Amino acid sequence: MLNINRVDKSFGNLQALTNVSLKIEKGEFFGLLGPNGAGKTTLMNIIIGYFAADTGTVSVDSEMMTYENLTMRKKIGYVPQDISLYLELTAQQNLKIFGQLYDLEGASLNKKIDEVLDLVQLKERSGDRVKEFSGGMKRRLNLAASLLHDPQMLLCDEPTVGVDPQSRNAIFDMLNQLNRSGKTIVYTTHYMEEAERLCSRLAIIDHGRIIASGTLIELINLLNQKETLKIQKNAHTQNKIQALGKLGHLSETDFYYELLPNDSYLLHSKIFAEIETAGIPNQFVEISRASLEDVFLNITGRSLRD
Amino acid sequence: MKAIYNLIIKDLIRFLNDKPAVLLTFVVPMALIVIFGNIFGGSGPRGKVGIILVNESSTPVSRIIETKLDTAQSLRIIKKYLPDDGKDSLKFTEDIAKEYVRTGKISAAVVMPKDFFADTSGSLKFKFYYDPKNEIESSIIQGQMQQAIMSGVPRLMPVLMTRRAVNFIGSDSTTMFIKNISSLLEKYFDLSADSLMRSFTQVDTAALMDSSLQPDSSGGTQMLSSLIRFESEQLVGAQVANPGLTRTVGGWAMMFLLFSLTGAATSLFEEKQEGTLKRLLCMPLNRSHILWSKYIYTMLLGMVQLFVLFVFSWVLFKVDVFSNLFNLLIVIFASSAAAVSFGMLITSLAKTINQANGISTLVILVMSAIGGSWFPVTLLPEWMQTISRGTLTYWSVEAFLQVLWRQSNFAGIANHVAILLSIAFLINFYSLIRFKNGKVF
Repeated sequence: MLNINRVDKSFGNLQALTNVSLKIEKGEFFGLLGPNGAGKTTLMNIIIGYFAADTGTVSVDSEMMTYENLTMRKKIGYVPQDISLYLELTAQQNLKIFGQLYDLEGASLNKKIDEVLDLVQLKERSGDRVKEFSGGMKRRLNLAASLLHDPQMLLCDEPTVGVDPQSRNAIFDMLNQLNRSGKTIVYTTHYMEEAERLCSRLAIIDHGRIIASGTLIELINLLNQKETLKIQKNAHTQNKIQALGKLGHLSETDFYYELLPNDSYLLHSKIFAEIETAGIPNQFVEISRASLEDVFLNITGRSLRD
Repeated sequence: MKAIYNLIIKDLIRFLNDKPAVLLTFVVPMALIVIFGNIFGGSGPRGKVGIILVNESSTPVSRIIETKLDTAQSLRIIKKYLPDDGKDSLKFTEDIAKEYVRTGKISAAVVMPKDFFADTSGSLKFKFYYDPKNEIESSIIQGQMQQAIMSGVPRLMPVLMTRRAVNFIGSDSTTMFIKNISSLLEKYFDLSADSLMRSFTQVDTAALMDSSLQPDSSGGTQMLSSLIRFESEQLVGAQVANPGLTRTVGGWAMMFLLFSLTGAATSLFEEKQEGTLKRLLCMPLNRSHILWSKYIYTMLLGMVQLFVLFVFSWVLFKVDVFSNLFNLLIVIFASSAAAVSFGMLITSLAKTINQANGISTLVILVMSAIGGSWFPVTLLPEWMQTISRGTLTYWSVEAFLQVLWRQSNFAGIANHVAILLSIAFLINFYSLIRFKNGKVF
């Protein structure tokens, strides 16, 4: 459905994208995972025709997506990272304006507005001004505005930024529902949990390059070590943790340390022996399955959160 | 104390990093001081107010007054015009001078008619035709006229009084009276009787040219005035119900129009900031759709704003906006088109909304000051008047004056409207090129 072929883009001296190629099939829920500034939004902007690539092509259903090709844009729905709504207007007024710009009118427009409001669970608030909505409600309406013209493909550019967990789950459910109804979804995020939960296939982007792509299993299989150790961060572990640095790549989050052991520590017994030697009690250690975070760490040597 | 110091430094750093704020704080007042200083401070040569002079009299006195007017500091005396065939310039006649005043080409005309100062005249006769389209300009013209004429009239006083006396007591009695007076003055004040006789009966042209005599500001002025017959005729605006507001409403309206329409045009920046511009650009719309819709909407907004403002001034202050409504609507259309183009230009030149606001405030205030929104352009120095004619404010203010004050027909505003629309076209053309390479999209 969407074919991105050898796309390059630079802004002055900054090379934003280098030789990016991706193929996304119809009906897929495709994730584009990368840290902030990796080039996700730039790639989205090129796909939607907001600006042109320096070199390379983007095609949808074998038809070139160009700056001038306006009819192609009807195939795509775009959910921007920002709340792209007229805040001083009501939800209904916003949807009517955007619907009319997609050549919808009269009864069919009203029907479509009802449908999307129903989907994002905002029907009761349709007459309220958007500026009175909570962050999560605005996000949902932002999504609804992109669905009015019933696009074949939905491009979501970090649609859950700044959203509370409840609204985030609601948005995930809506997107899954849309995907089940046959829509192709391209979803960018820097949260690996979101990518793992939602996407059937993924590409990891860093410094404007696609560094890995495949299903979640395929990406995890890129690692020799499929498991990681999580060690709680507390007074018992803090001054002893450095001793584990020689076992592999040690990273740190707010609440725990994460150890991705290197190849010489594939056996649990060897690792736990070292942990015991370091004086870290077992109760603070747990083994978990490797994640996309670990894949990213393994390939780039950096954490997604860096 | 240190906390206060640190907070002050914080505000200073923020201010210095906000270039539009710096621009508004320093450059705008400086620009306005330059303009006001040139008008009221007397720094540099002030521009002259044009006035037509028709001298139909062949007397030496009229020639001397003509010379005095020629050298008047604030007046630019115009005696010839270029006829429609455009070949050779001709001397103004009274009728053509009146037509020039009536159509707004000039604010005033002075005529010294054939009977300006005949052999038997008891007073000097002037005809003064004027269009008080601006009170300050009218005051300058009348003040300068008075100065030029009054400074010569005292020298003519004995002759004029003698001629009046002849009318009352007859020639013989007057001659006898002057002889007796002259003899007495010779006897007791050691003056020459012949010289005194001459001053009562002949015009001393050399003395008339003497500029050392200043107009009398004492009670004598009243007597001098009785020796000058000034036939004034207001050719324009005599029937206007509210002359003051009718003259100025166009200028103020244009300034506010520029502010509001520039704000509306720069809302493209707001849409970009809010993200809605990006959403629009992902729809089956191209950039020219967005630009033209913004242009047309802003222009309609400007037209409605102007019309409401004029209707409001009619309701409250009886400014007559309906007797020449068609032409008023044409000027409103052309002014709005030019004002929106200006807003589009600022939007295409600026990189941020703050920058756009800073630049537009500076340019609008300067254009309003030198374009005639605040005071007549004729008060400005010559070089500023030249710049003024390059501003859209000037042409708009003049067009509103033509329609509201002078009740001109379309021919009277065609030139102004054509210039305003040309400005709009050229600026739009340039802005569209800028938009293609600019930062807004």
